[in-house]
Amino acid sequence: MAKAAEIPVDPLESYASAGARIVRVRTMELFDHGENVLDTEDIERVHDMRVATRRLRAVLEVFAPCFPADAFKSALRDVKALADALGERRDPDVHIAAMEQFAAVAAAAQRAGLQHLIGLQQARQAKGNDALAAALEHAERSDLRARLLALADAAEATA
Amino acid sequence: MKARRVKGLDPQGALADNAARIVRVRLDELCSFMPKAADPEQVVALHDMRIAAKRLRYILEITAPCFGPYAATAMKATKGLQDLLGEIHDCDVQEPDVMAQLERVMAEDARALAARAGDAEDLDPALLKRIPGRAVHPGLVALAVHLRARRALLFARFLEAWRDLERKGFRARLEFALDERAGATGNGATPVATPLEVIE
Repeated sequence: MAKAAEIPVDPLESYASAGARIVRVRTMELFDHGENVLDTEDIERVHDMRVATRRLRAVLEVFAPCFPADAFKSALRDVKALADALGERRDPDVHIAAMEQFAAVAAAAQRAGLQHLIGLQQARQAKGNDALAAALEHAERSDLRARLLALADAAEATA
Repeated sequence: MKARRVKGLDPQGALADNAARIVRVRLDELCSFMPKAADPEQVVALHDMRIAAKRLRYILEITAPCFGPYAATAMKATKGLQDLLGEIHDCDVQEPDVMAQLERVMAEDARALAARAGDAEDLDPALLKRIPGRAVHPGLVALAVHLRARRALLFARFLEAWRDLERKGFRARLEFALDERAGATGNGATPVATPLEVIE
């Protein structure tokens, strides 16, 4: 599982200043997990990046009032789209692993049906990988990382 | 499920004051799904309760160190509840998927069987031995049965977990912790690290 950096919080610090600091760290973590994420042989990479998008999305939503509304909406929409694409890849990864475990202990007569389902999930996995590739490309083209860091800067400027 | 709007948030105000407002709304949101979600047929309420648990967990994971010690305990309890609801949700999604696949295979088999009957006066049951999907039926049925039984087991655990939270005064204690601000006395309380690594 992806380990997140520990971020100290001070109850008396301003809400906007805390939001700026935390969003910066979570943004960097998200993009650090982007490497080789399309490799279906190592399903933990997608999981780690998905966890990182959840963490980032959570802090964006918690600190939403601290950011300029339009830039925030657009960045959050793109983070959600990336999270959805990661989910489209991750869900079949998880189902395949669970069905393989189930098949390993199932009766011989049940294995063909389980293999049939695993085949369907593998097709979903390939489709999910295509969707993820497109979402990653969009994030890069639209410079999502810079837009997120700019949100943090804007929040800090008002703190 | 759309999150309830939190009123009165102030970017220039203290983190703890704003976080407390958010936690109160998210806590109320979570608790509002009971007793409806205690009905195993209320799949949507259970799903929405899982989302509400996730939102409460996230705000606590970021800001629990601002509050009294029970906030960290509540965060872990909320994570446990969310995990359980997540597993129930997985069963609720997977079982209809497996059943739909079984239905597709059965429909194809029925078509193939009817075609093989040809001009016969009635359908010969012996033809069933040669239907194309005969090898996959047992696995699909076994998995559907497994998912249904697992769902029942997880649901019983969820009810038990919720009763346990109520018995231990989860809501009241978390609300109390929100007023027990770390560092609120101005006595130089040390800022504490946020245990965000538990978000997954």
